[in-house]
Amino acid sequence: MKWQIALGTLSVVATVIVLAIVAAGEPRRMAGFTTSYQARQVETGALIFENSCRPCHGAQGEGIEGVAPALNAADLFNGNRLRAIGFAGTVQDYVRATISSGRPVPSSGTNYPQRMPTWSQRFGGPLRDDQIDSLVAYVMNWEERALQGGAEVTQAPPGEVVGTDITVPLPAGNADQGKALTEGNLGCVGCHILGATGPAWLPSGDTPGMGDRAATRFGQADYTGHAATPEQYLLESIVLTNAYVVEGFGPDLMPANYGQRLTPQDAADLVAYLLSLR
Amino acid sequence: MALFRVHIPILDEVKSKGLKPALRDKADDLITRVTAGLDIADVRGVLRDDPPGRPNPRLKPHAEGFWLHMKPTYYHNLVDGLYPTFRLGWLSVYAFAFEIITGVFLMIYYTPSPLIAYENMLDILSNVPFGRLMRDMHKLGAEVMVIVVALHMLRTFITGSYKFPRQFTWATGVILLGVTLFLSFSGYLLPWDQLSLWAVTIGASMAEAAPPEIVGRNLNLIVRGAPEFGAGGLLRFYLLHIIALPLAGILALGVHYYKVIIHGHSLPPGVENVGEDTARKVPMDTRTYFMPTILTRELWYVSGLTFLLVAYSAFIFHAPLEPHADPLVTPLHITSPWYFLWLQGMLKLGDKVLWGVILPTAIIGLLVSLPYVEVGPSRRYGDRRIGLSAGIVSVIAFAVLSYMGTPYYAVPTSPDQEAVASLLPQTQPGPLRLAPWGQLVLGSYEAADWQQAPTPAMRELLHTFDEELTRVETADGQDVEGIMVVEDWQTDLKKVTIRVVWTDAATNQPHEFSQTAFLHRNSDYGQGE
Ligand code: HEC
Ligand code: HEC
Ligand code: HEM
Repeated sequence: MKWQIALGTLSVVATVIVLAIVAAGEPRRMAGFTTSYQARQVETGALIFENSCRPCHGAQGEGIEGVAPALNAADLFNGNRLRAIGFAGTVQDYVRATISSGRPVPSSGTNYPQRMPTWSQRFGGPLRDDQIDSLVAYVMNWEERALQGGAEVTQAPPGEVVGTDITVPLPAGNADQGKALTEGNLGCVGCHILGATGPAWLPSGDTPGMGDRAATRFGQADYTGHAATPEQYLLESIVLTNAYVVEGFGPDLMPANYGQRLTPQDAADLVAYLLSLR
Repeated sequence: MALFRVHIPILDEVKSKGLKPALRDKADDLITRVTAGLDIADVRGVLRDDPPGRPNPRLKPHAEGFWLHMKPTYYHNLVDGLYPTFRLGWLSVYAFAFEIITGVFLMIYYTPSPLIAYENMLDILSNVPFGRLMRDMHKLGAEVMVIVVALHMLRTFITGSYKFPRQFTWATGVILLGVTLFLSFSGYLLPWDQLSLWAVTIGASMAEAAPPEIVGRNLNLIVRGAPEFGAGGLLRFYLLHIIALPLAGILALGVHYYKVIIHGHSLPPGVENVGEDTARKVPMDTRTYFMPTILTRELWYVSGLTFLLVAYSAFIFHAPLEPHADPLVTPLHITSPWYFLWLQGMLKLGDKVLWGVILPTAIIGLLVSLPYVEVGPSRRYGDRRIGLSAGIVSVIAFAVLSYMGTPYYAVPTSPDQEAVASLLPQTQPGPLRLAPWGQLVLGSYEAADWQQAPTPAMRELLHTFDEELTRVETADGQDVEGIMVVEDWQTDLKKVTIRVVWTDAATNQPHEFSQTAFLHRNSDYGQGE
C-alpha cells in the first residue's frame, strides 16, 4: 500500500509539472497556431480565387482588360483607389466589403460590361463567412508584390498580330489550344460561359451552338458585317466586334482590341474551337 | 437590552477548555463531518494502514456519506487484485467523469451554430489558454472511454459475471455501452469541420435506410433536423451530447452501480460451486476492507491514468481539425470514427437495410437478452466452451469488419484519383502539405525521374507518387505518367499541381486528372490540427 500512495502522489506531482510546462508554452503555441491558421486561409483563398475569380480578374489577379480590374495592383494597396472614391476604411475593409456585397452599380469612370458579383451568403451570394475571410487573406497577401510593381501581366504576344482584316488567310487552327485560350487571360469565358454578358457559345434549348450559328449567321437578312464564310464571321466577331451586334446585346460590350492582342495562330485556334461547338 | 446577541460557541469552549484543546476538538469535528464519520485519529490510522478498531469506524462513511455509500465496504480477497475485474468498471466511471470535466471547459467557448462553431474551435486553439490541451484531452478521453467500456464488457462476459444474479447489471451495462458510443458519435459533429460533417453523415444515413420509406424519411428528419445536416442537426447533436446522453448515462450508471453493490463483485469463476453465488457471504478472514486498501488502489489508478492522459495529450496526441464543413464537397476516403468502422464495413457488404439496420438492431437485441437466454448455471471457463468461442469469434468478426470499413477495402475510385491522393489526401494533411516548404523547388518534375529531383523532400514525394502510379499501372495495364509542377504564386505562396496523364488502352484517347494545392510558408500542418 505504501508504494501505491507514493506512486499516486508522484503522478499528481508529475501531472502538475506537465500542466506547468504546457502553461509556459501556451503564449507561443497560441501565436504559432494563429500564424499558421492565417497561412492556411491564404491557401484556401487561393483555391477559391482559382475557381471563382480567375475568369474575370486573371490568374494572378492582374485583371483582364475590359472584364475586371487588377487586384494585384499598387494603387489598390497604396490607398489611391480608396482616396479616389472617398472610402474611409482600410484596404482590407474595402476588399472585404467589395467581395461580400459585390458592385451592383459600376464605379464611376469604369465601363466594365459585367458587375462584380455578390459573394457572401449574407447578401445572397454563394460563399460562407470563413470563405470570404480566406479570399480577403489571399487578396491582401498580394500587398508586398503589388507595391513592388504588381503582377507580370502577360502582354499581348510579341511580333505579328492578326489585326482587323477578316480576309487574311489564317494558319490551321487547333481547337484544344483555342479552348485553353478562352480560359486564359483573354477573358472570353467570363462573358460567354460564366456570365450572361455575351451570347452563350454552347448549345442550349432551341439555340444551336456557336459553330452552327456561325455557319448561317452571315446569310441572315439582318446581318450587317462583311463575312463570307463561317471562319470569317467568327474572326469578325472577335476583332471587329461592332461590325455586327448580335440581337439582344448592345454595341461596345465586348472588348474591341483583340485584333491587337491575338496572333494569327491564336485567332485560328479560337475560330477552330468555336467552330467545334455544335 | 441588546437588539441581537452573537453567540460564538467556540469562545465558550476556549473559555472552559483552554485554546489548544478547543481548537483540536473543533478540527476533529470538522474532519469527522467532511469524511462522514472518521475523526483525525481514524484518518491517520487509515493512512498508516493500522488495524481498525472495534467496531470498525471505517464503515461509517459507507453508511452515512453519499459518495461511499456507492462503494462496498469490503471486497473478497480474491477480487481485490487486478484479476478478475481489472478495475475496468471503475476506470469507466473515471473516464466518464474526466469527459464531463473537460467537456464543461470546452462548453464555455462553444456555440452550436454552423455560423460560428468552427470559428469557436479556432478560438479554442488560438486564443484560449489550455484550450488545445482541453480539446485534446476530451477527444482522447472519449476514445479511452470507448476502449475501457468495451474491455469491461468483454471481461464481464469472459468471467461469466452476466449470469444469475447479475443479469440486470449486464442489461443496464448495455445501455451504458450505447450511451458511451452515442456520446462519442454526437460529439464528433460539433467541431463542424469536414471530417465531422461527413463521418456523421455516413452514420446518419443508416437512419434513412430504415424501412419502410416513410419511417426512414421521418427518422432522418428527426436525426438531422432537415433533409441534410445544418443548423437544426447541429443543435440536436449538441443537445444530445451535453444533456440527453449524459443524463441517461448518469441514471443508468446509478442503477448499474446499485446492482453491483447489491450483488457484490462476482468471485473468479471456479472458486465457487457451480450455481452458487457467494459474493455477499464473505467470511471475516477473507475480507479486504475498502478503507484503506481498495481506496488507495483506486486513487492510485486514477492519478496514474490522469497523468498518462494529460501528458499524452500535452505532448503527443492532438485532435485534428479539418477545413470548415462543406455540404457541397464530399472528401475522398471519408471514414467514420474507428469504433464505428465495423458498421461501415458491414454497409459495404450489401443491402443497407439488412446490414445497416436489421443486423445492428439484432446485435443490440442479442446483447441485452444474452443473460436471459444463455442461462447455463456454470461460470467456469471449462463449462462454457461454446459461449467463449462465440465471444472470440465475435471479437475477430469485429476486427475484420473494422478493417473492411477502412478505405483499404473495396472502395471504388478511379486509380488516377488514388495516385493524386497519395500525395494530397483529402481527409488528412498528407505528405505534400507536410513536406518542408523551402524544399519545394520551382519547376516541373516527372514522377518517373524522381531520382533527379533537386531536394530530398521532393525526391521522397515523387518517389511515393511514382510507386503509387506503378501500382495503378500494373493493375490496369495502362501507361501512366505523373507530373508535379511547382510555381511561385504569391509572397510566401507556392502553387503545386499534381497531374496524372494516361492513354486509355481501349479507345486510345488521352486522359488527364489533376489537382492543385496552394502551400504557404507558414501553414505548418505538422502541429497536429
Ligand atoms: C463576372 C466577373 C467577375 C468575377 C467572377 C469576379 N469579379 Fe471582382 N470585379 C469585377 C468587376 C467588373 C469589378 C469592378 C467593379 C466596379 O468597380 O464597378 C470588380 C471589382 C473587384 C474588387 C474591387 C477592386 C477595386 O479596386 O475596386 C475586388 C476586391 C474584387 N473584384 C474581388 C473579386 C473576388 C475575390 C472574386 C472571386 C470571388 C471576384 N472579384 C470575382 C468582376 C468580377
Ligand atoms: C466583356 C465581355 C466579353 C468578352 C471578354 C468577350 N466577349 Fe465576345 N461578345 C460579347 C458580347 C456582349 C457579344 C454580343 C455583342 C456583339 O456581337 O458584339 C459578343 C459576341 C461574340 C461573338 C459572336 C457571338 C454570336 O452569337 O454570333 C463571338 C464569336 C465572340 N463574342 C467571341 C469572343 C471571344 C473569342 C472572346 C475572347 C477572345 C470574347 N468573345 C470575349 C462580350 C464579350
Ligand atoms: C459507462 C459504462 C460503464 C460503467 C461506468 C460501469 C461501471 C461498473 C462498475 C464500477 C462495476 C464494478 C465492477 C468492476 O469494476 O468491474 C461494474 C460491474 C459490472 N458491469 Fe459495468 N459499467 C459500464 C458498462 C458496462 C457494460 C457495457 C456492461 C456489459 C454489457 C457492463 C456489465 C457489468 C457487469 C455484468 C458487472 C458485474 C461484474 C461483477 O460483479 O463481476 N457494464 N460496472
